[in-house]
Amino acid sequence: MNGNLFKKEFKRNVFSLILWMIIITVLITVTMAVYRTFAANQSKVMDMISLVPKGLIQFKGVSSFGDLFSVLGFYAANNVIYVMVLGSIYAIVLSSNILLKEEYNKTAEYLLTFPLTRSEIFLSKSAVLIINILLLNLVTSMAGLLCLELVKNDAFNIKPFLILTLYTLLLHILFGATGLFLSTLVKRPRPVTTFCIALVLILYFINTLSRITESVEKLGYLSPFTYVNLDVNNPAYNLEFLNLIYFAGISLLLAVMSFRLYSRRDILT
Amino acid sequence: MNEPIIEITDLSKFYGKDRGIENINLEVRKGEVFGFIGPNGAGKSTTIRILMNLIFPTRGSALIMGKDVVRKTKEIKHKLGYIPSDASTYSSMDINEFLNYCVRFYDVTDGRQRIVELTNLFELDLKRKISDLSMGNKKKVSIIQSLIHNPLLLIMDEPTTGLDPLMKSIFFELLRSENQKGMTIFFSSHILSEVQTLCKRVAIIKEGKIIQIEDIDSMRKKQLKKVTIEFSEPVNIEDFDFLITEKLNTGQENVLSFLYSGNINELVVFLTGKRLNNLMIEEPSLDEIFLHYYRI
Repeated sequence: MNGNLFKKEFKRNVFSLILWMIIITVLITVTMAVYRTFAANQSKVMDMISLVPKGLIQFKGVSSFGDLFSVLGFYAANNVIYVMVLGSIYAIVLSSNILLKEEYNKTAEYLLTFPLTRSEIFLSKSAVLIINILLLNLVTSMAGLLCLELVKNDAFNIKPFLILTLYTLLLHILFGATGLFLSTLVKRPRPVTTFCIALVLILYFINTLSRITESVEKLGYLSPFTYVNLDVNNPAYNLEFLNLIYFAGISLLLAVMSFRLYSRRDILT
Repeated sequence: MNEPIIEITDLSKFYGKDRGIENINLEVRKGEVFGFIGPNGAGKSTTIRILMNLIFPTRGSALIMGKDVVRKTKEIKHKLGYIPSDASTYSSMDINEFLNYCVRFYDVTDGRQRIVELTNLFELDLKRKISDLSMGNKKKVSIIQSLIHNPLLLIMDEPTTGLDPLMKSIFFELLRSENQKGMTIFFSSHILSEVQTLCKRVAIIKEGKIIQIEDIDSMRKKQLKKVTIEFSEPVNIEDFDFLITEKLNTGQENVLSFLYSGNINELVVFLTGKRLNNLMIEEPSLDEIFLHYYRI
């Protein structure tokens, strides 16, 4: 890894990191702000919920309607879209551009002619990616925890919260690795941002569809969102070993493949 | 002096089925100013991009300072400077920030001093943002970054694009001075007059292949003469075909200009009795010689 490149790359991305942190934190805060009103009107809400198909609740990943009234269940069900989907979009957009932008901005002509190996470039940029994802998760989960503490009616168990946070982090790392991989597949350098955002949304949609439609339940296995367990009120809620292997394995595989492809990539600007 | 600094052996690069370069063999010696000329698309940039390890060769090898450009790229680049043809660079930085960023990659102690010296020479304000610079000023920044670590070898791909004549002359003067201090220069261009000004030897590349490697002086000293005849009456130009090595465009009906490689006495004998307004026999320019090589 090269310190000079790492510092410059980190500095180059810090503004967008802060912006994403602010956006996600604000969304978490706004959502959690309605929790007390929601919980106070439990019977009215239950009457309303009884009118909507069960599938519409299932897409939120909770096993029963009542789970939505616990502060942690509410957090898991409502903030998934902000923390998981937006965080995944952030991770894939950052990672798909972190190597590729040097090519389409034509700065690769400088970067790759400094005394650096391709491995050093790849590792320095990947380190920036990982640290940005870690910082985003740290700040947004701290914001989430703070909101939970502020709006809770009763004490909640921190363990499911930490497990959910870890799942989110793993999901973001997986999308980070996917972005890196996609950028090494692009022959002619150009931004692939739109494609990456669409990919995250499609995978989230597949996950949602598989939760609410029994006939396409198996389709859900294609989406990484399926491997994030949101059922935080389940007493058996834990970090599942197979899911952990899934996230770590695929992320590692994509990262290794990206590294190999980048090491032999022709830089055409 | 005769020790090679660049050795290219049977180097080929194909982009899928498209030819980049094919079986290129080239040797540049330490201390030389070597020209690499050819029109756009001939393979100049492909060759340079392989030397800079931006792209990988399909076949063959390239060594710089005796080291393989693929396997030992980092070691080589500590002593190598590069001016890309495209001067685009980190637009969010100012010049000072960019040059300091560049110099930190190298093990140099006088980097700061060198930056000040070179920016003064090229009359650049270190505080200016790169995105606000004109093409010519971006090129100056690019030139400076290639020299801040005092490289042993400087590879330049169309380095003068965007520079005004005054800056071009300052740049060439700087190159001469660096060359005298021992820096080898590999100068790729399609502008022959520039190559002629600076280089001692030149390689001509055509359609991905080297067609000639020659000293600039011996290239000039070839028997080629430029003959320009102004006729006072209409003549059948086809009668002169046997004399013409390379016909040159004059744009005038009664003026014939061509490169001549035969015996000058035979030319004079042939012209005896013809009604001429003017006859000029002179040394052809390098551009005219190049045109001849290029049509071979």
